[in-house]
Amino acid sequence: MSSSATDFLSRLTDVPVANRLAAAIDLIAQAFPERTAIVEQAGSDQRHGISYGVLAANVKAVEQQLVDQRPRGVVARQREIDALVATVAACGRQQVPLAVVADDARDLVGALHDWAVLDDGLQLSVGTTGIGSQAGTRREDAFDSASPQVVVATSGTSGPPKLVEHSWDSLLAAARLSEQWRGLGWLMVYDATRWAGTQVWLQAILTAGTLVVPASRAPDCVARAIVEEDVSILPATPTLLRRLLTSAESELLSKMKLARITLGGEAADAQLLAKTHAAFPGVKVTHVYATTELGEVFRVVDGRAGFPAEWLGKTLPGGVRLTTRRDGELLVQLSRDTAEVATGDLVERLNDRCEFTGRRSDVIVVGGAKVYPRRVEDILRGVSGIADARVYGLPSAITGELVAAQIVLADPLPAEATPESIRAAALTTCRTALEPHSTPRLLDFVKHLMVNTSGKIPRHSSRL
Amino acid sequence: MNESLLPVVRKAILTVLRDTGRSAQAVESGHLLSTDIGLDSLDLAQTIVLLERELACDPFRSAGSSPTLRMRTVGDLVTLYEAALSAATLPPALDH
Repeated sequence: MSSSATDFLSRLTDVPVANRLAAAIDLIAQAFPERTAIVEQAGSDQRHGISYGVLAANVKAVEQQLVDQRPRGVVARQREIDALVATVAACGRQQVPLAVVADDARDLVGALHDWAVLDDGLQLSVGTTGIGSQAGTRREDAFDSASPQVVVATSGTSGPPKLVEHSWDSLLAAARLSEQWRGLGWLMVYDATRWAGTQVWLQAILTAGTLVVPASRAPDCVARAIVEEDVSILPATPTLLRRLLTSAESELLSKMKLARITLGGEAADAQLLAKTHAAFPGVKVTHVYATTELGEVFRVVDGRAGFPAEWLGKTLPGGVRLTTRRDGELLVQLSRDTAEVATGDLVERLNDRCEFTGRRSDVIVVGGAKVYPRRVEDILRGVSGIADARVYGLPSAITGELVAAQIVLADPLPAEATPESIRAAALTTCRTALEPHSTPRLLDFVKHLMVNTSGKIPRHSSRL
Repeated sequence: MNESLLPVVRKAILTVLRDTGRSAQAVESGHLLSTDIGLDSLDLAQTIVLLERELACDPFRSAGSSPTLRMRTVGDLVTLYEAALSAATLPPALDH
């Protein structure tokens, strides 16, 4: 019994990719039916676990409906992760096209009007969006390829969310199935329907791990979930990690037994990396560069900000080629026979590193001069007494835009500091380090920064 | 119109001077914004955002009130906001 559990990862690599998730769930459920696959509402009184045995039964139930009804495709409309996992596993094994669509991209499913819908009840609903043709020979108008396998919505970091086509291959390609990943506790703070979220839960379930979903993103709740559920892998955006480090109870932080932190979604700055190494000595910190369109492009494991400058212009081991446009925008070519893609991310060469300066669309233009909000945020976060900062453009009739900042104060404040003294210090620091047009003209104190469902700081200009 | 808004405008200008590391100075109606007080376009943009927060009104963006946007002196700024505020708050019937 235990041998089938220990060598199941090597057996899994032989399974066809689309079947892999369902196969993993079956194998683990056979060996350890009671093993916890998912903990929902972790860190709260409502905590409950879902076992691999239950998960496997749910997969079978969904598969039966797919076999009976043969829909053209399935739109997964779930809020509960266990229902989503069962749906993805079942659609994969039954080769039914699947759309995983987040809340804010629901209006995009018009393109999939003749697909069936599965919600948390896991009852295939063919009424509202209609069921696919029995023959299944009609052309898919909405997509480039004749039959999309997996459709995911982008996070909308760089514009309104849009649907992106993937294959089972690309969805599952990044999951690592080597022995060192088996049976670990994974924290899940991402939206399970987004690319980053799918990668976390797929990795956890494919390797017989436990997916821990905190009841909320409040720092203390996340910290309790990590401690109580023995989480060892923490995938997070820099914004979420920063919030955890600055705002969670220090006693909880000291009790964490993390082995690895995987950052993604936003660029990680040197300060955050230094704070992370100080708070969790010995923990491996990896930074993943991925987009919903491209999937994972590269990962940086040396614990430093940005990536080695020597990677530019060279073909990396996976076949990826990175170059920059003259304005610093990072261009990615996944392989020799794919087109170069403009990422919208701006990089700047600093000695032996390429560091991210922000998103092209985040650039604030003040009187014709460009301001990179990330650069200003980095400087503000370096001021003693400031826990976090968000910099954005405020519309101005005179200069087009004006740089404004929201600041979260450290709790407790450094000795003898007051909000006013910190404000003055922040402005002085910015004036010394930045050009006049980049220095924030409005500094507001807020309790915490707004974080969107992708765990990133929203940047579009807002009038206060 | 009297100069009831002068203290509000003065306070905004003094905030701009303080935030940019300059010392406080007298701010009177007849002072030229640029040469007497030393405000550049960024300073003015900040002043206008501060005044918008204080008065809930931005004469540069509110449609309808398009005064000749004379903005050489502190007094011009005061007049501009007084005009914009009265246009925004007084119903037309009370105008005569």
